[in-house]
Amino acid sequence: MRMSVSVGRGGMIGVSLSIWHKHMRKFLGNGEELFGMMIQPILWVALFGIGMKSLMGGVAPDGSDNYIGFMLPGIIALSAMGGAIGGGMVWLDERVRGIIKEYLVAPIPRLSILLGNAGSTVSKAMFQGIVILFVGVMMGADLNSEPVGWLVGFLLLTGYALGFSSLALVIASKTDDLMAYHAMIMLLNLPVLFLSNALYPMALLPGWMKAGALVNPTTYLVDGIRQTVLTGTGELPLWLCLVVTITFAVAGLFTAARVFTTGTARS
Amino acid sequence: MIALTDPEGTPGPVPAIETRHLAKRYPGDIQAVGALDLSIPTGSTYALLGPNGAGKTTTISMLTTLAVPTSGSALINGIDVVQAEAQVRQQIGVTFQEMVLDDALTGRQVLDYHGRLYGLPASERTARIDELLELMELTEAAERRCRDYSGGMKRRLELARALVTVPQVLFLDEPTLGLDPQGRAMVWDYIQVLKKRTGMTVLITTHYLDEAQQLADLVGIMDRGRLVAEGAPASLVDELGADTIRVAGTGPVDALVNRFSDLPFVQSISRVDDGLLLGVRSSSRHLAEVVTLVTGEGFVIEDVSVAKPDLGAVFFKYTGRQMKDEVQA
Repeated sequence: MRMSVSVGRGGMIGVSLSIWHKHMRKFLGNGEELFGMMIQPILWVALFGIGMKSLMGGVAPDGSDNYIGFMLPGIIALSAMGGAIGGGMVWLDERVRGIIKEYLVAPIPRLSILLGNAGSTVSKAMFQGIVILFVGVMMGADLNSEPVGWLVGFLLLTGYALGFSSLALVIASKTDDLMAYHAMIMLLNLPVLFLSNALYPMALLPGWMKAGALVNPTTYLVDGIRQTVLTGTGELPLWLCLVVTITFAVAGLFTAARVFTTGTARS
Repeated sequence: MIALTDPEGTPGPVPAIETRHLAKRYPGDIQAVGALDLSIPTGSTYALLGPNGAGKTTTISMLTTLAVPTSGSALINGIDVVQAEAQVRQQIGVTFQEMVLDDALTGRQVLDYHGRLYGLPASERTARIDELLELMELTEAAERRCRDYSGGMKRRLELARALVTVPQVLFLDEPTLGLDPQGRAMVWDYIQVLKKRTGMTVLITTHYLDEAQQLADLVGIMDRGRLVAEGAPASLVDELGADTIRVAGTGPVDALVNRFSDLPFVQSISRVDDGLLLGVRSSSRHLAEVVTLVTGEGFVIEDVSVAKPDLGAVFFKYTGRQMKDEVQA
């Protein structure tokens, strides 16, 4: 064993990709996680969708005749959020068990640890989004015939998932206790879904709820996806949906980057 | 990058690890390490020996850039661990006290991702990993998830992981903690083989006396954050004398110290918690004489024990306490 190895720099992207690769390999190799992530959104669409559809007589709250199509973006948002929460849990677990020390003594940028983690969450959200769309279409949702619209939709989902993933990673960096993490997340989780236009149009909401919905990034993701991936009509301009979602992602990443480069760095 | 002279200007090889007045204080005024001065030559194996809580792990944390010193400095191959942490990280390999393995991965994957983190090209990774798996006798288990590994296999895998990047300085924090005697002996063998093959500098922390004695060229005995003795294990032990006699009880210890310091057969005297520790040329020849003298000075003996000195006796001599007393602390 002769000693002539140049320990090269993987570079920010290279290292981020390695961490992303590890997470994805674990995800794809873990049958239970894969199964759970596919089944959960399918159950949402199937059970909640069919229930609500019968209640509404097939008419969507926005006046169209496709309730399944109306609620799909909300399920996509919910799944992306679930994925982000899971990503935070993995990080918390790796922190508490000391696994991240392997990263901390390595000559790698702290930011690449964040990007690798957030990146794998986004990939899982994409994967779930596709499953949900597929199930939705099987159940009668109408897809936009323009593939450009799908791309914009995926851009929106990427921004949203990055933003929430960063938030979850920040919370997971601030506590050592899984219960505390869950308590914080539950506090976020409910209003994010119900204080938005995911299940009902904003036009039907009382003023204070409408105000709440307007500061919730979920509203912009849902509205944007309705307009681009599906054939629904939006209540907000598409450019605004893009601006808000991307701003959310950048702000989330920025906050998480600060926590990762200072908070987790050294004691 | 690597300075050829030390900052004092004295020419000579730069030590692989050097600390000056290195100290770490944690919130709540807990002094984990205080004014530690180490100079560990390149290519040597150095064991930091001490009970739990002596400050060994904190020292390693500072040397491996995981913790920032409160004061003092530490250099790895002449590079400052605070000023140039990235460069230091390029040169070191570490195994931690607790096992930190992603146990959903196979042994080979653990090593492979580690190599990727350091940007090793794929061809180099494969060759190196095969070699290390072979060396650590893990080739057959390489494709199994490491959650199914035994404790000893996990330790060997961690050792292999620390070596993927060919570090110049290897830090092993309690490398045999939690292993059965057989597992410990195996890990010792691997460390010895590694040393022979690579010539790297190794810093081991341990609270096992036999481990330090077996593996190290140099031993530093730490107690309560300070280095209390340092030297080659054999010379530290030899300083004590051929045998040790420990006399415990109550009475005028100072008078005894004076009395014994004049006697030619006494090679060392130390005061310990409950009496005296004497190093003598031959305990069988002098035991009766010692007991007579001690009693003659009005000392009431509760216990007398005779032993061949080891690093435990060295620790006892310098701290006045048994190492095992502190393990529970």
